Amino acid sequence: MIYLDHAAATPVSEKVLKAMEPYFTVDFFNPSAAYLPAKKVAANYETAKGVIAHAIGAKSSDLVITAGATEANNLAFSCLGQGKVLYLITEHASVRAVAEKYGGEAVKVLPSGVIDLADLKGKLNDDVQLISVALANNELGTIQPLAEISALIREVKIDRLKRGVKMPLYLHSDASQAINLLDINVARLGVDLLTINAAKVYGPKGVGALYVSHDVRLSPISVGGGQENGLRSGTENVPGVIGFAEAISRAKDHINGNRKKYASWRKMLLQELQGYELINKKHTLDNFVVLCYNGIDAERLIFLLEDQGIYVATGAACAASKGVRSHVLKAIGLSDEQIAGSLRITFGETNTEEQIHEAARIINDAVAKEYRRIMG
Amino acid sequence: MNQSSSDTLKGARPSLRSSKDRFIPKRTVFVGMSGGVDSSVSALLLKEQGYNVIGVYMKNWSKDLPGMKCPWAEDLADAKRVAVKLGIPFEVWDFEEAYREKVVEYMLSEFRKGNTPNPDVMCNQEIKFKLFYEKAMAAGADFIATGHYARVLPAGPSLMRAVDENKDQTYFLYRISDEALAHTIFPIGDMMKPDVKKLAEENGLHNAYKKESMGVCFVGEVGMKDFLKEYIDIKPGEIREIESEKVLGYHEGAVFYTIGQRHGLYLNGVAGEINDGLPYYVVKKDIEKNIVYVSKNLNDENIWADELHLKDVALRSDDNHEVLVRLRHRAPLIPAIFDGNTLKFEQKIKRPASGQSAVLYNDEICIGGGIIA
Repeated sequence: MIYLDHAAATPVSEKVLKAMEPYFTVDFFNPSAAYLPAKKVAANYETAKGVIAHAIGAKSSDLVITAGATEANNLAFSCLGQGKVLYLITEHASVRAVAEKYGGEAVKVLPSGVIDLADLKGKLNDDVQLISVALANNELGTIQPLAEISALIREVKIDRLKRGVKMPLYLHSDASQAINLLDINVARLGVDLLTINAAKVYGPKGVGALYVSHDVRLSPISVGGGQENGLRSGTENVPGVIGFAEAISRAKDHINGNRKKYASWRKMLLQELQGYELINKKHTLDNFVVLCYNGIDAERLIFLLEDQGIYVATGAACAASKGVRSHVLKAIGLSDEQIAGSLRITFGETNTEEQIHEAARIINDAVAKEYRRIMG
Repeated sequence: MNQSSSDTLKGARPSLRSSKDRFIPKRTVFVGMSGGVDSSVSALLLKEQGYNVIGVYMKNWSKDLPGMKCPWAEDLADAKRVAVKLGIPFEVWDFEEAYREKVVEYMLSEFRKGNTPNPDVMCNQEIKFKLFYEKAMAAGADFIATGHYARVLPAGPSLMRAVDENKDQTYFLYRISDEALAHTIFPIGDMMKPDVKKLAEENGLHNAYKKESMGVCFVGEVGMKDFLKEYIDIKPGEIREIESEKVLGYHEGAVFYTIGQRHGLYLNGVAGEINDGLPYYVVKKDIEKNIVYVSKNLNDENIWADELHLKDVALRSDDNHEVLVRLRHRAPLIPAIFDGNTLKFEQKIKRPASGQSAVLYNDEICIGGGIIA
């Protein structure tokens, strides 16, 4: 098997699994219980939360643990009062759907996939309360200039105060796809809300976190026992958070090495593959290679490759995703034909250099086979 | 590593239409692929027999209702995966609007009248062997093919029961037109189901042991009643015992019930039974007054009949006086005398719900049928 879809899911690493294990069986206590062993679990949970927070330059008390990124994104949008929301048109469905629910307006991207700052400025009127821009896009790997956006926001905030406009203005970013390869610091990015997710950093699925800065007020996503500062009631997912902490600190330690490795693989793969058009040319995460083969139905490619044990993704009108074409590829101006022939290859820790060579050879063969079939 | 499927076909069976085609130009077949093993193996066999095969997924229904997930996207992916494996072209033909109009609307209007229609019969008549057939012919097809268990005799043409008596699907096919039938191939009609699965497995088709879909696709596993509730308003009414007229309970609308039904009756808080433990059956529906009548009496005259009146009769043979009748898919064949409208049985039969089909046979030949009035 050559797994080249690390943007979709990552395997839980051995070390992470080991760290989690005792909390399923031995240290299973409810952190809210009164006796000492439970208090110990509560303390370890808090420590783990602190590790996660530290990895993004925040404090434990700034984090709300959630059941994944989707829930964190939903929670982030609860900051909206009377205000409006602007979101990047290429956002993940978990942001787009919530933004649409709140009547949000989409901000355009340039053909590179990077935010169109002029469009953002044009739409940023006094009604806007929240702007949501993912740090790295999940289909293209495009990295957004968050620091630039937050600088713009700072100016707008000052101007609003000067004019006596009371509407607050927050910046939210879904950093799920980015935490693996970018060194994230909430202060440096200038975000008020930040979503992260264990499943993309070789941690368990179903665990995420929302960073919330002090001046943002949210509404609970669920009510009950008052856990997570009352914002997400429900008994704490102790093993999940322990695993998340282990995974995110590991990822942090390997960022530089991994980036270098993936960048060289990317270069290598682009040299060895034939007959493609490169889509994510720059401003991208190093482990993303997005291509298109004109005139080819990429879904057929996926099935041909799957037969050879190679797993990749496509933005095509994939049957398994209900025939919906990638809105991201459309937003950067690709034609229907280009989208239908698009492949997303994402490297990760399961890969080796030999695998990338092997994958290039097999993908070339599959593409040639499809062209031959079409030509008759 | 997997070998290309076109090289060898293990365990392939000889076929009536294959050998003589070798030296004439390839003939084109559009095969309806549902993602299931039957239509997948059908495509496989046609390819091996030398046809120019084009796989088509018919998209008939894609709406997910609350709590009901129609598995069309997965089915489509399964169908396409097989097409890619076989190296054949694959297309998706969208019949959703026609299906809604011709099948779903028909079904709902029949239910509203108190009948229990069979949407699969209507789907074959209106969609698969009409729209799909017409579109395929217009696209240059010599034949269409499906994964039904049935056979075609070129003379007539005649529709013939499948070799696998347990899987025979002629019950759902009796209303398709002669024209379509004359241009149809049922590649697995002479195979036994276990052999179909085996052939799929031997040829590396991933869906060899996929769970079979039962009943109407879009109703899924939740059931007809929940589906109907999306479209037909709940209208509470009484459940009465037919003998005593006593009110035993209440229902959500007589149209949701079918004669012979014994599940889903809520009588004085006990599902389907009272006191002595014997189940109550629905024996009669008064749609106008919205009353459902039930009985414990298995001999109630409403459940039994020695004759059935048919409407919308479709026949493809004049030899239709002494016939064998099938009243349900997979039900045994019962001898009867038919006069063009009415079926007379020697012994009383359990009366099928109105709206269901009675399908007529001469020995192995399906000669048509009609809708039970």
